[in-house]
Amino acid sequence: MKYGDRLVKMQGIIVHISDGGVAMDLKGRLGHLTVPMRMLITDYELKVGQEVEFNMSFPEVMSGEVNEKYVSNIEKNKRGGK
Amino acid sequence: MSITVETAKEHAMDHAVSCCRFEAGTIIEPSNLEDPAIFFDLEESGLLKFDENSLTIGEVLGAKLIKTAEALTPLTADMLEGLNVQTEEVKEEVKEEVVGTPTAATEAVAPASMTTSLNGGMLKIHIGEGKDINLEIPMFAAQGSVAAAAPTAKIVEVQETAATTETKIEELPAKKLRTLTKKHFKIEKVVLGEETKIEGTTLTLRKGIELEAVESQELVTAMTLEIITPAEYDTYSETIMDVQPIATKEDDNFLGTGNTRVIDGVIVMVTGVDENGVQIGEFGSSEGILSENIMWNRPGSPDKGDIFIKTTVTIKAGTNMERPGPLAAHTASDFITQEIRNVLKKMDESLVVETEELVQFRRPGKKKVVVIKEIMGQGAMHDNIILPTEPAGIMGGKPNVDLGNLPIVLSPLEVLDGGVHALTCIGPASKECTRHYYREPLVIEAMNDPEIDLCAVIFVGSPQVNSEKFYVSERLGMTVEALDIEGAIVTTEGFGNNHIDFASHIEQIGMRGMKVVGMSFSAVQGALVVGNKYMELMVDNNKSEEGIENEVLACNTLCKEDALRALGMLKSAMGGSEVKGPERKWNPNVKEANLEAVEAHLGSDIERVLNETSIPMSEKRESKLKTK
Repeated sequence: MKYGDRLVKMQGIIVHISDGGVAMDLKGRLGHLTVPMRMLITDYELKVGQEVEFNMSFPEVMSGEVNEKYVSNIEKNKRGGK
Repeated sequence: MSITVETAKEHAMDHAVSCCRFEAGTIIEPSNLEDPAIFFDLEESGLLKFDENSLTIGEVLGAKLIKTAEALTPLTADMLEGLNVQTEEVKEEVKEEVVGTPTAATEAVAPASMTTSLNGGMLKIHIGEGKDINLEIPMFAAQGSVAAAAPTAKIVEVQETAATTETKIEELPAKKLRTLTKKHFKIEKVVLGEETKIEGTTLTLRKGIELEAVESQELVTAMTLEIITPAEYDTYSETIMDVQPIATKEDDNFLGTGNTRVIDGVIVMVTGVDENGVQIGEFGSSEGILSENIMWNRPGSPDKGDIFIKTTVTIKAGTNMERPGPLAAHTASDFITQEIRNVLKKMDESLVVETEELVQFRRPGKKKVVVIKEIMGQGAMHDNIILPTEPAGIMGGKPNVDLGNLPIVLSPLEVLDGGVHALTCIGPASKECTRHYYREPLVIEAMNDPEIDLCAVIFVGSPQVNSEKFYVSERLGMTVEALDIEGAIVTTEGFGNNHIDFASHIEQIGMRGMKVVGMSFSAVQGALVVGNKYMELMVDNNKSEEGIENEVLACNTLCKEDALRALGMLKSAMGGSEVKGPERKWNPNVKEANLEAVEAHLGSDIERVLNETSIPMSEKRESKLKTK
């Protein structure tokens, strides 16, 4: 990664909780993130509306190449997995 | 930041650096010194440089500054008077010599501080604090062995230490606890037909069986059944949720004992999506061309050449992330497996191609050890069904989430007889599928190791909230305390907050004075969230080239080579060997060096498993894509 270790502190609000994952809106309308339950660390019972905090860097596009495997998977999902 | 007395003791052999400006005349105490944990960063940024004159913490404690030292100055002999030699380290070293394990020292930590004090076969200890007491103790042949120990490499070697202690104990015969017989049936062809039956090596599946399977589950709206032969490995598949063996108990035998019939050459593969086409197990999913997403021959994955009975389950929209959804997909698939099991039960004995007898021994007099497997327990796919009636089945089993994730003891044979049905989710590369437990390499190796006494395999769940994690892990601590073991190996699949309980389990065991080895996928991407001082014996399960979760099924799961490393490490640690500290950055060479050390001890080669570079990459794929 060219811009490696530049950490940016992000904050967000939990907007949806399921058994499998937790969805959060990033404050300042900076996006939306859904992570598996196991990637979220908590001392409290999870509730919608709780605030979260984490360090992130900016996502960097690795190259101009398109990975066909992922394209075909996405297309397939759009067609309803058929 | 200054350090505590305890830290100073631990880091006696690290460089001594002043943490603030100190005037001449200061007597050096731990509170005057900087924490060695941050040296690496300081050195990297150029703030700190050490040369050969730099003294260690052990040497400077109690000495007097004769020059004023600025903050972050490495202390040297010309700045101090009354340099110290640590007495405590010396005692330990003497003890080790008596035991007679000169080569067991893995790193020359203790010896180096001693060499300064050795003189003509006499050990001279100078205690500089006020009273000037000089002690002279004869040192046997310590000087020679110190020199021998010094260049020994970092690795914990499987050593004769264990053997030395064993000779003192009377050799007791191994006690046969129970046996499990696995009768293997070979299947070479799977076809669809009028009824489910097995004739010779052909398995016929009833057409339309999947429709009944759908009806058996409310949340399942559709299912397709495919038979994937090696020729069809290049077809598209939804994410692989699980890989399961097809096995059944004979008569009314219980799991983990008696006779099991198992089919070789065929596995059941559960895959699925919800009605919106969202993968079940969305986070890191392995949908795509099968041959590009499976790391063959891992304990938990299909072997190359296996025929897959693959179900593609569609569940109600939006239930893919709720507990009942994935469970319904598994239960519906198990409906089909059960029909095969019922046929397998009736098969003629003459078709058995191989009979395998697994024996669980207890070995009185050997070091008592447990294997602890941390499994996921946060709901949905993060769940496992414990002890179903049929091997790797669902019926009769209890979800570990409902059992409160508390530690549960299974016999090694129960584990190897399909006692755990995994609803695995996260990260295809590091998840342990149901088949993984069926041929769990660590349990096999530990059970068959004549040098240790494996007394139990303990499964413990990983809940979501920290307070629950610690509740569970304290119970684990109490359990192992009651078992009175000497060593334990703790494993966990995947990565994330489950490393918090993983660390806590290790702490709970370590603080009770037992040796404990941890096994997890870590490498670059799965770096541990937390750690503690008992986490010094760690085995990384990573196999991927770059040290990441590469979405290739079972690539980074526990293999035989990892099991052998962990056992070697545990045995050495129980025998009293020291461990070298970790490197700052992930370095795959550490693993290789450890493997070589284990090989040297065993006197045989350990086969290294292949990594993802052995399967087709994207360029080759263009012409093969049948789905585009």
